[in-house]
Amino acid sequence: MALNKLSVAAYSYSPMDLLAVAAAREVRDGDIVFTGTGLPMLAIMLAQHTHAPNSVCIYEAGSIDGRPLDLPTSVGDARCAYQSAVISGLTETLYGQLHCGYVDLAFLGGAEIDKYGNVNTTVLGDYNNPLKRLTGSGGNPDVNSQARRTVYIMVQEKRRFKEQVDYITAPGWRIRKWPGGEYVHRREVYGKYFRGGVEAVISNMAVFRFDEEGVMYLDTVHPGFTVADVQAHCGFELNVSRVKGETLPPTQEEIDLLYQVIDREGIFLP
Amino acid sequence: MGKPQNITLKEAAGLIQDGQQITFGGFTIWRRPMAFVYELIRQGKRNLHLLEVNGGTHSEILIGAGCVSIWESCWSGHELYGKLGEMVADRHVNGGMIVEDYSHGHMVARILAGAYGLPFFPSAQSLGTDLLNPEFDSLGRAGLRDGSHPKIPRKKYEFAPDPFYDRGELLLLPAANPDWAIFYASQVGEEGTVRVNVQTYADAEVIKAADKVIVLAEEIVPESYLRLEPEKNIAAGYAINYLIKLPWAAHPTGSQGFYDVDADFIRTFYRASKSQETFDRWADEWIFDIPDHERYLQKLGIGRLENIRANPVLGYSTRQKRGTR
Repeated sequence: MALNKLSVAAYSYSPMDLLAVAAAREVRDGDIVFTGTGLPMLAIMLAQHTHAPNSVCIYEAGSIDGRPLDLPTSVGDARCAYQSAVISGLTETLYGQLHCGYVDLAFLGGAEIDKYGNVNTTVLGDYNNPLKRLTGSGGNPDVNSQARRTVYIMVQEKRRFKEQVDYITAPGWRIRKWPGGEYVHRREVYGKYFRGGVEAVISNMAVFRFDEEGVMYLDTVHPGFTVADVQAHCGFELNVSRVKGETLPPTQEEIDLLYQVIDREGIFLP
Repeated sequence: MGKPQNITLKEAAGLIQDGQQITFGGFTIWRRPMAFVYELIRQGKRNLHLLEVNGGTHSEILIGAGCVSIWESCWSGHELYGKLGEMVADRHVNGGMIVEDYSHGHMVARILAGAYGLPFFPSAQSLGTDLLNPEFDSLGRAGLRDGSHPKIPRKKYEFAPDPFYDRGELLLLPAANPDWAIFYASQVGEEGTVRVNVQTYADAEVIKAADKVIVLAEEIVPESYLRLEPEKNIAAGYAINYLIKLPWAAHPTGSQGFYDVDADFIRTFYRASKSQETFDRWADEWIFDIPDHERYLQKLGIGRLENIRANPVLGYSTRQKRGTR
């Protein structure tokens, strides 16, 4: 399909702006959203300012439904907690909110993702003899495993979109049932704790979703890129049969909110 | 039992024995007992078993200085100010330290079990991941799960069926009861009542899980003041063994209500942590060439500290320039 570069709107926006806006659009009004540091913060705040005013944000370090005056730079930041409904700690957020089933949507990131939505943030190469160590899991797999929907925000590179990740830090749709280690559908591993899984992946080039078998497909392509561009930056053969068209670009109102209200200091959007 | 014993930073660090298991209060780059970490390094501690809910700048400094032989946790880095825990990464890739990975929820479960006197805590988090791959059980591979190490469980985890409601197989995570918790508190009363400001992280659980607790207090305040609003306190004095009064003890990590994260300091450290050689130069400048905490604050200088000092109403600095606008 032909994606026309002229469709880019007359005003300018950066790839980061489009990522934030595309992520914000995944929020449904009323969602309880578990959010990490960075771009996800912009996404939930933008959603709250636009189409999802009744959505609520939980930050892992302990603040529940805060109304920050200033953009936090970490989930542990005092800025997260301003005007929160409840201020608590990790036992409450990870078990009292997440494990018990309140969380609708999670925004997360990763270094590598595979076609089943498995994400790696731990090592490149063999865990016992790695080529490179990454940050480690943090709460990524906990949040992903128990939110009803998870959206990953990724950089579109061949080495990051892989047939199979080197280490499954966070569970996608086809994962291993321990202690045996056989690959099965996520539903089989989580049983009565199955609530959903990875719903979308948003990169700087495209939006991806998952079919009934839990395999990634290309959903929309960002303005300025083609299906071929996306495939060229993906390490496995993409299902492109379901492409809906072009990702909607940001509106002027969304850009203004991002730069003048949400990140007015220029922390994540310089 | 009773009130905590007042003690100096040097004396307190002297209590930690080589090979012991330690943990810290705080979260990533917030409320870490940094002055204590520096003193452990000055005293040349070795073979520490650092078990913590999450890592951060403090872990990176302690590991870079060669004090840690086992690290059990889930994450290391400096948040926005340095994306990777370079020292954990170096030890994992090049050897020199056993790295045992759990998830954040797993680590909370382990500390929670330890805090409540339970042998394990059940969880349905992070199932199906390589965190549970038996081939990646680092302590097991090192032969340390033979039951002869009192702080190392015989298994990394176990599965067991729910015997009550048929909710299926749950993951059981072994309790953690470190020898020591080293903890930074916002305010401590004369009798040892502990308050932390804003998010509580896993702080109350860390205090209860450890055999002995050392608290570094930003401020010592009258007990009667803390007892006006007891719902803001997280521990009674009898849970604390040793108390050190030490303002700015969490620098460069942040302390809500007192000071923000010193972003430039952590960025500079992060760059230095990319090689052992530059780490060592950094450690000479900021740890070994400085005899004590007072001299450390003098070296930082009043301008730097004023820049990060928190606005008393908001609890964070409104002076520090954070972005490009």
